Amino acid sequence: MFSRLVSAGLLAAAFSLPIGSAMAQPSGLPVDVPREQLFVSDQILRYNVVGNYNFWVQGPQNPTRHAMFLETLWVRDQETGELINDVASSPPQYNDDYTQMSVDLRDDIYWSDGVQFTADDLVYTVQTLMDSPELGANGWHTQLNQFVESVEKTGDHSVTFTLSEPNARFHSMFEARWNGVYMMPKHVFETVEDLATFTNNPPVVLGSYIPVQADPNGFWELYQRREDWERSPAGVQTGNAGPENILSIFYGDSTRKAIAMSRGELDVYFDADFEAFQTTLDTTSTARSWYQEFPWAYPNEVSSRQFVFNMEGDPIYANKDVRWALALALDIVELQTEYIGGVVKVTPLPVPPTTELMRLYHDPLEEWLVNLEIDLGEGEMYKPYDPTVPDRIAEWAAGQGYEVPGTPREVFGTGWWKFDPEAAEALLLKNGFTRDGSGQWLKPDGQPWVLSLQSPPDENDAFRMSNAAADMWSDFGIQVDLQGPERAVWDQNHIEGQFQVSTPWYSFALASGDAWPEIRGWHPEFYVPVGEDYRSKGGGNFQRINDPRIGEMLDAMQAVEPGSEENFELVREYLKYWTEEMYFITTISFKKFVTWDERYWTGFPTAESPDYMPLYWFQGGKYAFQSLRPAE
Amino acid sequence: MTLFKEYIFPRLIQWVIVIFIGVSLTFLIPRMSPINPIDQAMGRLTAFQTLSPEATLALRQSLMDLYGLDGSLFSQYVNFWGRVLRGDLGPSFSAFPTTVTEMIGSAIWWTIGLLGLSTVIAWTLGLVLGALAGYFPDRWWSKVLENTLVSIYPIPYYIVAFILLMLFTYYLPIFPLVGGSRGAPGFSWSYLSSLVYYGFLPALSLVIGATAFRFIMSKALAGTERTSDYVRFAEIAALPKRKIVFRYVIRNTMLPQVTDLALSLAAIFEGALITEVVFGYPGLGYLLLNAINASDYNMIMGITLLSIVGIATASLLIDLCYPLIDPRVRYR
Repeated sequence: MFSRLVSAGLLAAAFSLPIGSAMAQPSGLPVDVPREQLFVSDQILRYNVVGNYNFWVQGPQNPTRHAMFLETLWVRDQETGELINDVASSPPQYNDDYTQMSVDLRDDIYWSDGVQFTADDLVYTVQTLMDSPELGANGWHTQLNQFVESVEKTGDHSVTFTLSEPNARFHSMFEARWNGVYMMPKHVFETVEDLATFTNNPPVVLGSYIPVQADPNGFWELYQRREDWERSPAGVQTGNAGPENILSIFYGDSTRKAIAMSRGELDVYFDADFEAFQTTLDTTSTARSWYQEFPWAYPNEVSSRQFVFNMEGDPIYANKDVRWALALALDIVELQTEYIGGVVKVTPLPVPPTTELMRLYHDPLEEWLVNLEIDLGEGEMYKPYDPTVPDRIAEWAAGQGYEVPGTPREVFGTGWWKFDPEAAEALLLKNGFTRDGSGQWLKPDGQPWVLSLQSPPDENDAFRMSNAAADMWSDFGIQVDLQGPERAVWDQNHIEGQFQVSTPWYSFALASGDAWPEIRGWHPEFYVPVGEDYRSKGGGNFQRINDPRIGEMLDAMQAVEPGSEENFELVREYLKYWTEEMYFITTISFKKFVTWDERYWTGFPTAESPDYMPLYWFQGGKYAFQSLRPAE
Repeated sequence: MTLFKEYIFPRLIQWVIVIFIGVSLTFLIPRMSPINPIDQAMGRLTAFQTLSPEATLALRQSLMDLYGLDGSLFSQYVNFWGRVLRGDLGPSFSAFPTTVTEMIGSAIWWTIGLLGLSTVIAWTLGLVLGALAGYFPDRWWSKVLENTLVSIYPIPYYIVAFILLMLFTYYLPIFPLVGGSRGAPGFSWSYLSSLVYYGFLPALSLVIGATAFRFIMSKALAGTERTSDYVRFAEIAALPKRKIVFRYVIRNTMLPQVTDLALSLAAIFEGALITEVVFGYPGLGYLLLNAINASDYNMIMGITLLSIVGIATASLLIDLCYPLIDPRVRYR
């Protein structure tokens, strides 16, 4: 009897322990902070370096963290295109020959320990980075040594850089799209003996938030707002207090993010696949993305998606007519609607049609696109551009019962290439391609055309785009071998040139409109043949394009001021050349289902109040956090 | 002395050889992979920002230096053995400058806690329930148990895990979605209870499948034992059935299962990848997956080394313990 009682007791204890512990938990969140004082953001990766806030050495990950507490001179907002003064109080000022750059600094911001930020901090940061090869993060040590001859304090809040050679773009190192040179607190760092092993924990910060607690396993991190938040750059910029606490938490896949938001344990996630986003709308009535209704997603992150070709793989892809034929065999309206859900902007240029970049590039080039002609053979010239694409997508949207929140061009981007298999066929026949008895294409050497397309499935839109292309090119008579390798394998294939057609993201222009820093790596001086690492000379030419015309155009851009109309005109000429050559088949721009729940917090940037970009994991995401207010 | 010379010593030599070969293969295999850690690190560093070509080249060289990948394969191999013997596994490439030892040290306790407990619970439950069901095959509860566990056993683990996740985090949201605990580590009730709270679902998912497996094995063994002469004599002697099951039947079915338990416990050092990914639980499996994807040679070697040494040592210990457990080995 006794042993039975003991067994029953043990059994009861075994069941009651987890249930009891579950009942004892205040919530499914890992921190004890009242929910109305806590904003919970999606941490885009699980940090594997924990408790180390020395972001000047290689290792500690910066997403979200740099928005919370790291500052640079300027931030370029990807939504507005505006240059926001971060710790600077003026734009960069160059002398006439671009050998000096001066900057004025804010005199109203302080480090979190109460020490005022001054020119000494900036000079110390630059000098320390130059002198310390062990501070190798982000390539700043190398680039500063390459560009800077000296840096001097010219006042308590003004600094002048003397450059080693004329350089009209030097300031871009301190202008954050993703990030810019992070300021160091001189009064802290100058006391450190070994900067390489210094963990900077707890950190003294210029930003509004201080990390106060972190999961040793890297799943989450808790930040507390500084009491003197109004003395931080984001506090000065927005004039708003923001949440008292912010928790960043890594939930992993889209499903778990949707579940977390439905449970009230996530206020914003950075992206999800289309299905998980729809589930969020169904299960969380207070959730929304950039647009309140269709097409929901944020469309203005500065990157575009494309099919790219290996010029030194199968020789057929080095033929521009073949690349054009593949473009004309794609139905962009079907791709954008049936495969992507109608939620991205279309672009034929390797520049996303954000408001600012559309003004600089797509609008001025529209007439050129409409009049562009290609040679189909036998003297037949053909105009491939179809400006009606956004209108046709709008018609599809209306058919689905959606209301389009703006003009079709504003919401769905620009025109694209006509879906014209007959024109595509003419281009291939012109180049010696033939069809076999079953209608499948044969290459000029008589072999069946098997197109190998590589696209890593972890990049949702790129993979869907590839599925669309695989279907359409198959219908056109090409055997398509669509492969979805792991990203690491895909990266390595790019590096060695082991691909025919692939789908990397890219943008030829920065949010400012300047292009040279983004495309300089395509200069023929950095060309490396297939079989060797394409970066072995430092360039970014994964397609192995060896085109002297590109070199000439890049040289011309380098010599002019990046914000000048002259530079923008040169970029337009470059885009025309690139498009005529069809080096990329650019299809759509980036979209993100940056989705937030207004149950506890409001004020996140939206299409109705687009004051800042909602991309909170970039360094410029600080303004989105700082703009938040408690829900009524 | 004969026991040592003929039984223990050869097994010790075998243990050393297995570890040497295993560790050498661990060194070579990642280096034969087409994925290169420098390229992966460069990819991570340049994914978000544009570097000048000059900076790209300099960064590449500095990574070669930092990661210790300069020099020939042989010199790397010699350095590697030197470090292994000093207990220095070097820095993790993907979490530089954190050392592999630190990272494994923080992950391993989660894996030991989760897999160790769930393995022991599942082993005990499966063994006892299986033996009872094998000895009393005609009872109603025996049939219910058998039908239930035999039905559960073929279901792929990830489906069981996903069902539990959806059931208890979404439809009945009482358990957390990710993580291993709440708040800062410490010996407080709130922290310790949070360990149970966070670990319950992943552990349950492991216990279900493992119990079913052990139950089937144990029931079959007990069914055979039940027809043995000693059981018949015990029944004729009117010994209580509980005593027959727990004193004799279970003990005789345990021998092969003890070996299996030891190997299962040693396999803990490989981690529980699917469990950790599905439940967002910290541990060695997740660490190993990330290391493979990032070509983090040092981390791959660290975890594999642990696994090789763990399993080889467990096998050695089982071999050494056999003479104690099984008299037939002792008197051979």
